[in-house]
Amino acid sequence: MSFEGKLALVTGSGRGIGRAIALKLASQGADIIVNFFRHRESAEQTAKDIQALGVKAEVIRANVGDPAKVDEIFDMIGNKFGHLDILISNAASGVGRPVADIDVKAWEWTMDINARALLLCAQRAAKLMEGRGGKIVSISSLGSRFVLPNYTVVGVSKAALEALTRYLAIELAPLNICVNAVAASAVETEALKFYFKEGLVKDSRYVTPVGRMVIPEDVANVVAFLCSEEAFMIRGQTIIVDGGTSVGLFALAGK
Amino acid sequence: MTVEEQIRDIIARITRVDKSIITRQSTFKEIKADSLDVVQALVAVEETFGIEIPDEEAQKFQNFGDFVSYVENRVAQKEKV
Ligand SMILES: NC(=O)c1ccc[n+]([C@@H]2O[C@H](COP(=O)([O-])OP(=O)(O)OC[C@H]3O[C@@H](n4cnc5c(N)ncnc54)[C@H](OP(=O)(O)O)[C@@H]3O)[C@@H](O)[C@H]2O)c1
Repeated sequence: MSFEGKLALVTGSGRGIGRAIALKLASQGADIIVNFFRHRESAEQTAKDIQALGVKAEVIRANVGDPAKVDEIFDMIGNKFGHLDILISNAASGVGRPVADIDVKAWEWTMDINARALLLCAQRAAKLMEGRGGKIVSISSLGSRFVLPNYTVVGVSKAALEALTRYLAIELAPLNICVNAVAASAVETEALKFYFKEGLVKDSRYVTPVGRMVIPEDVANVVAFLCSEEAFMIRGQTIIVDGGTSVGLFALAGK
Repeated sequence: MTVEEQIRDIIARITRVDKSIITRQSTFKEIKADSLDVVQALVAVEETFGIEIPDEEAQKFQNFGDFVSYVENRVAQKEKV
């Protein structure tokens, strides 16, 4: 696998899984656009770490939930590079609340950042991939199909993201753009600590048949594969990275 | 409008509280601002004043007054440049 000479945009790549994806692609030669929203320091650090691998890194601040800011990202890429090879729609936000407490604001905030951003980014990215093809990977979670406590809005947004991934895969196939998603179970990041505090972290470790939690690099490895030519015939799929959690749940329940 | 008045209007609009209850001593909790309200208020203030408020700084705000003082300083610095 080599991404030498390729340009990748990874949304929300200052920290967590996005950072791991950015570093993975960079380690195989891709130049990276690091997008962040609230944490500039982390993003600058990620860019430095990418540059240390001998490739280019560009940092751009943008709330991907805001269409005007999404335009700013792609205007910058268009003006500076004139093309894009890889789009990773990773940024996500959300409000952890029970159904009764979900208001319109929380719903829209979450859907705009987690689901609509893929649509807007893919529309602009497809133009920059014209004539050269490209890869788009969105990052989802098991909450799209399984019920997690206080995860309703995010889970629904991820279901939308996965459905959109399928539609994009078909509509963008004639442009030689491969579109897929990667859905992870609980990954050891700050977001996880924020959402589920200690309880779920422990539970997850228990129900992962592999015997450890998923780490950001596990997700990044699969994303990199989906961005490679080896994955050419995989289209519109959501690849689950969960150490077997989702298929092993019932087997482990009896232990 | 002063910086303080503008920020008070933004927060009142987002949290839907009467702006008269927001004093310099008010905490986000007292204004009934949840974490989403706080982020939205930060973004709206950033856009209004053309500044960037990193989360690392925002986390230090104990009350409305801290928020206002931070923005006042940033705006003053900007005007100097
Ligand atoms: N952690 C898990 O257990 C887990 C499991 C399954 C799937 N996932 C998915 O994996 C992806 C990454 O999650 P993570 O755990 O790495 O999250 P994280 O540690 O909370 O990081 C979130 C990232 O998204 C960025 N971001 C948030 N809102 C944004 C916005 N409006 N515009 C642009 N960037 C924004 C953040 O940037 P700033 O810090 O600069 O704001 C940060 O880089 C998400 O799609 C998440 O749903 C996570």
